[in-house]
Amino acid sequence: MKHKLISLLLILAVLSPLTAVYGAETIKIGALYTMTGRGGQYGKDSEVAIKIALDEVNAKGLPDGAKLEVIITDDKNPLYAVSVAKRYITDEKCKFLFGIISSAIGLAVTEVSKENKVIFVGSDHAATDLTANKFHKYYFRSSNNTFQSMMAGAMYLKDEVKNWKKIAYIGPDYAYGRDQWMEVKWGLDKLGVKYEVVGEYWPKLYEPDYTSYITAIMKAAPDILIVGFWGGDTVSFIKQAKPYGLFGKMKYFHVDAGGNYEAMAALGSDMPEGIIMSARHHNNWPETPANKAYVDKFYKAAGRYPSYAAEGAYVGIHMIAEAIRKVGNANDTEALVKALEGMKIQCPEDPPGFTSYIDPKTHQIVQVQAIGTTVKNDKFPPAKFMLGNLKVYPADKLWPNFEYIDYMTKVKGK
Amino acid sequence: MKKLKDYLPWVCYFVFFLGILIVDPGTHYIHLVARVIIFSLYAVAFNLLYGTTGLVSFGHALFYGIGAYITGMLVKATGPEFFLLFIVLGAAGAALVSVFIGLLTLRLTGIYFTMLTLAFAQLAWGLTFKLYHFTGGDDGIQAIAKPAMLAGSVTKYYLFCFIVVTICMYILWRIRRSPFGSVLNCIRQNPQRITFLGLNVYKNQLKAFVISAFFTGVAGGLYAGLDGSIHPDMLHWPTSGNAILMATIGGMGTFFGPVVGAGILTGLETIVGKYTEYWSFSIGVVVLIVVLLFPRGVLGIKRLAGNKN
Repeated sequence: MKHKLISLLLILAVLSPLTAVYGAETIKIGALYTMTGRGGQYGKDSEVAIKIALDEVNAKGLPDGAKLEVIITDDKNPLYAVSVAKRYITDEKCKFLFGIISSAIGLAVTEVSKENKVIFVGSDHAATDLTANKFHKYYFRSSNNTFQSMMAGAMYLKDEVKNWKKIAYIGPDYAYGRDQWMEVKWGLDKLGVKYEVVGEYWPKLYEPDYTSYITAIMKAAPDILIVGFWGGDTVSFIKQAKPYGLFGKMKYFHVDAGGNYEAMAALGSDMPEGIIMSARHHNNWPETPANKAYVDKFYKAAGRYPSYAAEGAYVGIHMIAEAIRKVGNANDTEALVKALEGMKIQCPEDPPGFTSYIDPKTHQIVQVQAIGTTVKNDKFPPAKFMLGNLKVYPADKLWPNFEYIDYMTKVKGK
Repeated sequence: MKKLKDYLPWVCYFVFFLGILIVDPGTHYIHLVARVIIFSLYAVAFNLLYGTTGLVSFGHALFYGIGAYITGMLVKATGPEFFLLFIVLGAAGAALVSVFIGLLTLRLTGIYFTMLTLAFAQLAWGLTFKLYHFTGGDDGIQAIAKPAMLAGSVTKYYLFCFIVVTICMYILWRIRRSPFGSVLNCIRQNPQRITFLGLNVYKNQLKAFVISAFFTGVAGGLYAGLDGSIHPDMLHWPTSGNAILMATIGGMGTFFGPVVGAGILTGLETIVGKYTEYWSFSIGVVVLIVVLLFPRGVLGIKRLAGNKN
């Protein structure tokens, strides 16, 4: 009898962890990414980064043995993305909405998040609206907004670029492009920089032919051309502008998404030298063990180096995991919101001595910005150029900026 | 007996669209069926031109988009209290625009008419993009509120759509069965005979064009309230193409065929879209099967079999 009892206890002891795992909750995250077309590389890189982050999170463990699972759908357009986001919530029972490359789609999906009180972690779209005039408590962003990069850009223009007065802007005709232009002008005004606008050009996102814009820009002859493209649009524009000698006639300034590794890799030796750029993550800066490890992991998983979109996705998954750990489950949305507010999260892009954090009032991740110029560097093939001569702008000088939020709300409405 | 047979599709219509409320498959599927019923109205209104009058408009997205944008912009400007009125105004706006476009395009026939309707729709699509400060450009318009009595549960808005769409469908059904409907049918079959009978082909086509645009506008307005989100893509040519697909798949020769087509197209997009980003491939396969094997569409199968017998 005694032996039987001991055997029974032993069996129970062996089975109990198994039952815990078997009964463990799978926490679903519904992600939307651009997986095809000119923006498709962002989605594909984000998918790789999500897998890396999931492996790390699930290896470290979540409360009660829960596991994270991410479903990814190609977002196509705002209408389709909204219907998928609704399906994620009502049919797939996702606890979080996640991702999204295009700000136009982000602006549509944030309303679904608000209406359904489901946390939405934006990992790439950068239009400032989402953490400013369109802010709601269930939205968080794991990569910088355009104000952060354009404010840093305004500072760079003031301090680092000499002998200029005339500026022109070209960017995609939607919130992301519009915000950048409004922000750089606001920043220059605040810094007391005098300038003259000689042109603004609004091609459609994924415009196939920029010839007419390039000739108009050449005719306007600005000292500085401020550019607001992202993804394949950057590559196309640079390729098409080069034969016209645009880069020899004016300074090219592209500080939110221009310095993305995707553009460096796609352009190779066609990338003009010395143009001013930045991105939300750099594979060659900062040279910290954390950034090197992240870039190496990505390379090992994908056989290529990451574009900046990957880092936002990677950080976003870790943010969600950390919030679940703090709360103990993924069911208490209000507690998760509280856990995310003010959360400190070490990102690959953080330089020594700085940790990114979520601003509790706007739910925007606060990060440093590094702006530089293209220099020859073939350490990250197939790119032949990377950014160098980087000038770093402190995070707290860039966000939050409530004066700008008020201005934006006045201009664009709630 | 014939009478009963005539009403059978209506019985199926009510059984399906009301039955879904009794079965209550969950919010997601109610939302899906709400999309189906809105697209049904869009496709049936389009089919008044395509299947009945024999005019292939490749620009119906224009009227769908106008309905959606007028409704959405009025709600954003004044609030959602007069939501139904705004839908009617959206439809009236679409009808008004269709008068001008119809006057110009109906002078032409065949592919020239089709191309001109496409040109007008693409022009409107481009304008919607370019007028960023007026239409929201590529951002579209978000957070279009619904009146309090329709807000909250999707079932409430579904019921609202069901009532509005059913009224519209009934009017369109009566039109199709009216002497005017017979004239439209004759125009499709033999326009010269209509002229010989002393009737004006152009005027009757124009009337059909405006009626079709009006009900297409209603569908657009209803969609604006469903997700509270509209985008210039609603005016883009694939949206016009969807109307042709829905009518073709379901059966353009029947009144309810486009409803079946709307169900198949929306269902495939949602259900196949869950598993692959290449869901449009499945639509291609369905269209191929329908066009090659059932040229009269899904609801035309029976008629084809009847003819053979």
